Amino acid sequence: MKPTFFDANLCFGRPIRTVYQPAKTAADLQRVMAHAGIAKGLVWHVAQRDYAASDGNRLLAKALAGRKNMYGCWVILPPQTDEIITPDFFRRMQRNRIMALRAFPDYHRYLLNRVVFGKFLDEVTERRIPLLLSLEKSSVTWPVVYQILAEFPNLTCILCDIGIWNSDRFTWPLLETYPNVFLETSLLSLEDGGIEETVARYGAERLLFGSNFPERYPEGAMLAIQHAAIPTADKKKIASANLEGLIQGAQL
Amino acid sequence: MKKTTDLKKAFFARGRVPDCPIYDLHGHMGPSYGLHINRETAAQADTVLKRVGIRLLVFCHHAALMAPDIGNAANIKAVRAFPDRLRAYCGINPNYPDQVKKDVATFDRYTDVYVGFKLLADYHAIPITDPRNEPAWALAEARALPVLLHTWGNSVYDGQTVIRKVAERYTQAKILLGHSCHSCWDEAIQLVKDFPNVYLELCAVMDERGILERFVGELGSERIIFGTDYPWFSHHYYIGTVLGAVISDDDCRNIFYRNAEKILGGVFNAKSLTAK
Ligand SMILES: [Zn+2]
Repeated sequence: MKPTFFDANLCFGRPIRTVYQPAKTAADLQRVMAHAGIAKGLVWHVAQRDYAASDGNRLLAKALAGRKNMYGCWVILPPQTDEIITPDFFRRMQRNRIMALRAFPDYHRYLLNRVVFGKFLDEVTERRIPLLLSLEKSSVTWPVVYQILAEFPNLTCILCDIGIWNSDRFTWPLLETYPNVFLETSLLSLEDGGIEETVARYGAERLLFGSNFPERYPEGAMLAIQHAAIPTADKKKIASANLEGLIQGAQL
Repeated sequence: MKKTTDLKKAFFARGRVPDCPIYDLHGHMGPSYGLHINRETAAQADTVLKRVGIRLLVFCHHAALMAPDIGNAANIKAVRAFPDRLRAYCGINPNYPDQVKKDVATFDRYTDVYVGFKLLADYHAIPITDPRNEPAWALAEARALPVLLHTWGNSVYDGQTVIRKVAERYTQAKILLGHSCHSCWDEAIQLVKDFPNVYLELCAVMDERGILERFVGELGSERIIFGTDYPWFSHHYYIGTVLGAVISDDDCRNIFYRNAEKILGGVFNAKSLTAK
């Protein structure tokens, strides 16, 4: 059984520092996905982090036009500076197939907390728009994740790139406490038994396939899910159904 | 871009490929301080290895490396309980030189257990060149045994400079660079070019795209071996990454089993494994 893969964590564009054979354009990324056997992607453009959230978000939106197997993530900055979050923000998201958000608080020099994002993240929570936080990629650290979830306990939050070393000691308390926290599996599937044990404790509903292309080989995470010692129905949920559900549930 | 290969198709279809066995030459066992390990025991390892199609896991128990009060007894117990798929490296902690001498002196009592030695110099904070490691090196040199080194680029304990020194000193021991002198990839490649008894091992290499292609492009695939740090990391993940790299099926086979069989050939007979 080969499940349909919907990738929650992949990116295109050439980074400020080189990476091995990145996908330069969205079309290149579609070719990479087709080669690996990934049907759909929730993508971002690396310029959103490396260069500027504003121009990067525009670049992403333009690149996604007409690409039916791709949705986008916009990168947020504090609402107070009016760089990203404007009154028509959610309408613009919807017009541009942007179904989720990402944040790089350290790299972009702000704090991801209620003082900065109170009203905005309340609305994001209400609309069930996923916020993707990466534990790599200069995004966030575990204390920031714990803080933001304590302040917005119903936020739909997808934790990506959860660590090379097993992170159960960080992630399992969050899965236990916050029902809308999900784990992207590119590094969970790197851990021996990572998928199986997390599914046994918290259910397959809490995991979403991701490849972390271009930093990692998609085939590693894919083979690990396809042959995990879990029921086929659970593999389908992890590979694509859970992310489909989140995208469909987002109210824009 | 690489065409989808038969091997990749076969592994994705079935999860294991009988004519392509896997030898994992870098494993561990037991709990470890810095992370939750899902499968700590030898019995769990045996079940996983059977399911995934791993012909042999050569490991060094965390206790042998991190708990001198338990030591290599943990290796012996695990291999003797599950001899069909397990062999061990005798763990060497040079902070306890008397124990090193004792473990080397009794090595031959455990020919059914050990295939060589493991040094974890970054953790022990003593360089691989230190005289306190000498008894292990001397036996490995005399018998052409594998020595699995934890290696990390620029480390004063097990980085490229000290690896070069031991490779100059020991020309018969099979020096397996665990993690391939991580991040100093050019230096790792040069070490393999300069010394015929140095091998690159892929644990912690394969979570970065493109390194294996560089190794194979510069060196071919005959001195690259498969390792995962199991039970830290998943066999399927690592197998998938090797299959995802832009290298040939023949290269994959060298990495998965052919090179390991050559390295272990002098130490033990693969046919002695009775496991299906
Ligand atoms: Zn190791």
